[in-house]
Amino acid sequence: MEKNLSSASLVKPVQKDTNAEADIPFGYGKTESYLLPKDPAWMFLFWEITQNTLDYLKSTYSENVLQSARTIIRLYDVTGVNTFDGTNAVKFYDMPVIFEARSWYINVPQTGRSYVADIGYLTADGQFILVTRSNVSSVPPGRISDVIDDKWMIVEGDFQKLLKLAGADYIGMGASERMQVVGQRWKLTELTPSGAPSSWSSFSLHLDKTEDEDIWLKADCEIIIYGSASKNAIVSINGQDIELKDGKFSIRQHLPAGSVVDLPIRARNAKGDKTRQLTIKALREQGK
Amino acid sequence: MGNEKGYLALVLHAHLPFIKHPEYPDFLEEDWFYEAMVETYIPLLNVFENLTEEGIDFRLTMSLTPPLCNMMEDPLLIDRFSHYLNQRAELSEKELTRTAGTEFEGVARMYFNKFRRYKELFENRYHKHVLQGFKKFQDMGKLEIITCCATHGYLPLMVHKESVNAQIKIAAKDYRSRFGKNPRGIWLAECAYNPGDDKFLRDEGIRFFFTESHGILHGTPRPKYGIYAPVYCPNTGVAAFARDMESAQQVWSAESGYPGDSRYREFYRDLGYDLDYDYIKPYLHSDGVRRNIGMKYHKITGKVALNQKQAYNPAAAREVAAEHAGNFMFNRQKQIEYLSTLIDRKPLVVSMYDAELYGHWWYEGIDFLEYLFKKIYYDQDEIKLITPMEYLEIYPENQIVQPSMSSWGDKGYHDVWLNSGNDWIYRHLIKSAERMMELANKFPNAEGLLRRALNQLARELVLMQSSDWAFLMTTGTAKEYSTKRTKDHIKRFNELYEQIQGNRINEAYVYELELKDSIFQQIDYNVYSSAAKEAVLQKY
Repeated sequence: MEKNLSSASLVKPVQKDTNAEADIPFGYGKTESYLLPKDPAWMFLFWEITQNTLDYLKSTYSENVLQSARTIIRLYDVTGVNTFDGTNAVKFYDMPVIFEARSWYINVPQTGRSYVADIGYLTADGQFILVTRSNVSSVPPGRISDVIDDKWMIVEGDFQKLLKLAGADYIGMGASERMQVVGQRWKLTELTPSGAPSSWSSFSLHLDKTEDEDIWLKADCEIIIYGSASKNAIVSINGQDIELKDGKFSIRQHLPAGSVVDLPIRARNAKGDKTRQLTIKALREQGK
Repeated sequence: MGNEKGYLALVLHAHLPFIKHPEYPDFLEEDWFYEAMVETYIPLLNVFENLTEEGIDFRLTMSLTPPLCNMMEDPLLIDRFSHYLNQRAELSEKELTRTAGTEFEGVARMYFNKFRRYKELFENRYHKHVLQGFKKFQDMGKLEIITCCATHGYLPLMVHKESVNAQIKIAAKDYRSRFGKNPRGIWLAECAYNPGDDKFLRDEGIRFFFTESHGILHGTPRPKYGIYAPVYCPNTGVAAFARDMESAQQVWSAESGYPGDSRYREFYRDLGYDLDYDYIKPYLHSDGVRRNIGMKYHKITGKVALNQKQAYNPAAAREVAAEHAGNFMFNRQKQIEYLSTLIDRKPLVVSMYDAELYGHWWYEGIDFLEYLFKKIYYDQDEIKLITPMEYLEIYPENQIVQPSMSSWGDKGYHDVWLNSGNDWIYRHLIKSAERMMELANKFPNAEGLLRRALNQLARELVLMQSSDWAFLMTTGTAKEYSTKRTKDHIKRFNELYEQIQGNRINEAYVYELELKDSIFQQIDYNVYSSAAKEAVLQKY
C-alpha cells in the first residue's frame, strides 16, 4: 500500500537529478553534540565523535585509563546560570551511554529547567574526561505556575473553574484525532479497502474522558533493542541492516498501544555463509 | 463596544508544503494543492463573495502560509491547476447525462454547478490569482490574513536563533510582496512556541500569535483570565492568543464531532473507483491507476461497508450543516454567558482549525461556515465575531505572562516532530543551518553566481526545515515522499555547500535547483548572518 507513493516511479523524469543516487552524509566530520527538548520530561541528545578525537584522547590518556572508564552522559542543570563553564551547574546527573549510539533520549530529573549535556569518560578513579559539550536547552514546566501576579489578582475558585473549562486536565489529548485526520489527508494512492468503515466512525481515542475526575494519567511506551555481535558481522533487525560499532548496536522505537512487534535479529558473516538469528517479541496490550 | 457579551475569533490555518515538480509532466503529490484549491480555498472565497453580496458582515482570521502563497502564484502550478479544474468541469458535465433519472442526478448537478462557479471565480474574477481574492477581503476589513514561519519550520527544534530569525524574516518579506503591508499576526508552525522567539516576531512588526491552550495556562505568572483573554510576552509585548479546546473538540471529536453525521458526504467512496474504467481513465493520472478524483456520490450512511453506502443528497446535507452551525453558535453563546460570570471583561473564545478540514475533509464544512456567519449576523447579538487586532484595540491592556513552550501536536509538545521515526533529520537540519550561517558570515557582499548559489543554499535549507516532512514520517502517510524530500534537500544543500567552499560553483547545477526549488524568488541569504540575529536580540 505504501509503495508507489510518489509519481517518481510513474513517469520518466524529463530531467535527471544529477545526484539522485547519492545518499546523505553519515556525519559531518566534527566532534560535537546538540541537545533538543521533546517534552517536559524528555530531551533528545545527538552527537558525532570523530576518529581524530578518539585518537587524540588515546594519545593523551593511557589506553588503560580509557578502557577501564565508563562512557557517560553528564547532564547539568544550568537553570539561572549565565555562562556555564563546566563547574558552576546547579546539579549534575550521570547516565551510562554507548558512544556509538550517536543519539539518546534523556529522561530529565526535573521539568521546567535548563540543561547542558556532556559526553565523556568517567574513569575508575572518578575523573571526568570531556569529549563533547552540547548547547543549553530548556524543557517546559508542564504545569500551572505557582507565581501569582499582584497586578492581576485572581479569585482562586474562579481560576480553578477557568482551568477546568479550558481543558487543563486534558492537555495535548484529542490532538491525536486531528493528527490522524490531517495525516490521512495525504493518503493519495492508497486503494480503498472495500468494506472499510467511514473515515470518522473508525477513530478511536485511547483516553479516559470522564470529566468529573480530578485525576488524570497518561503514559506511552518505547522499547530499546540492544545487543552485540562479532565485530565483522552484518546485523539486521526486521530485515533492515543496522549499524554496528565495535560489535555493539542499539535501536529504539515507539510501541503504540495494541501493537505486536516481532523483531527478528539476524547476524551474518561478511561472506554471507553463516548466520545467527534471535527473535524478540513485544506485545503492548490495548487496555485503558 | 456594543451590547455583545463576548467575542469569538475564528482562525483558519491554510497550509501545504511547497510541492512542485517541473521535472515531471505529471506528479501525484501536486494533487494535494489542486484538491485543496477546489475543495477549500476557492469555496471559501465563494463564501466570502456570497456573504458580501448579501451584505452580511463577517470576521475571519486566516493564515496563508508562504509556501501556499508561493504555490498559488506559481505559473506552472496555476497552469496545471487550470487543467485539473477544467477536467473536473468536463467530467461533471458528462455526468449530467449519465446520471439523468437516477438517484445520483442531484449530486451530479451539484458538482456541475460548483465547478462552473469555481471556474468563473478562478478565471474571470481573480484571473487565476486567488491571492487577489483573499487580498480583496482583507482590504475590505473582513479578513485578517496572517503569515506563518517561512516554510512551516518547527521553531523550538531549531538550535540556532539565526534559523528562527530567517524563518520569520523570509515570511514577512514574502507577505509584504503579496499583500502590500506588514503581517500583523503569525501562525507559528504547529503552534509551536519557544519562549523568546517572540523577539523575532516583534522585529518584523508582528503583533500577535497563537498557542495551544497550555501555552498560556502553563505561563508565568498565572494567567488571570485563563485562555479567555490574550497575554503579552515580557519585553516584546507581542500578544499570545490561546486556543479554546471546547469549540475545537466540537468539530474534531470522533464520537460527537459534526463531520461524522451519516448524512454528510462519504470521503472514501469515490468516482475514481466506481466508474467504468474507459470512461474515467482520461481523468486519472497518466499511469492510469484508479485513485480518488474528488467526486463522491455517497453519504456516510452509517457504520456499513463502502458498497452499502447510500446516495448523497446535497440539499439534506446542507440542512444538517445549518443545524450544526446553529448548534455551534448556541454552544458558544452558553460558553460566553458562563465565562462572563467568571471574568471581569468580555471573554474571548479563539476557535482554531486547519483550513483544509473545511471542504476537503469535512465536505460540508464550507456550508457550515457560511451558515455560521449568517446566523451570527442575523439571529443573535450576544456574541460578536472579532479579529485579534480588533480585540487588542478594545482591550489594549493585558496581563504580561511568559507563555510556556508548547505545540498543538499530540501530547502538547514536540513528540510528533521528534521521535524515533524521524529524529535522524535533526542532525542534518541543524548542521545545515550552521553551515548556512558560516557562509553568510563569510560572504556578506556576494555578487553574481556566488550570490545565486548562496540564495539557493538558503532555499534548500528552508525547504528542508518544513515541519511537514517530520509530521508525515510520524503519521506514516506519504512517508516515502517526505523522507525523499528531506534527503533531497540535504543532498542538494551539501553539494552546493561543497561547491561554494571549493570555489567551483557549477552554474548548470545552480540553475537546475533554482528551477526545481523555486520558492522565495526574493530570498536574501544575508538573513542568516549572525549580525542579523544579534541586531534583533540586542533590541529586546
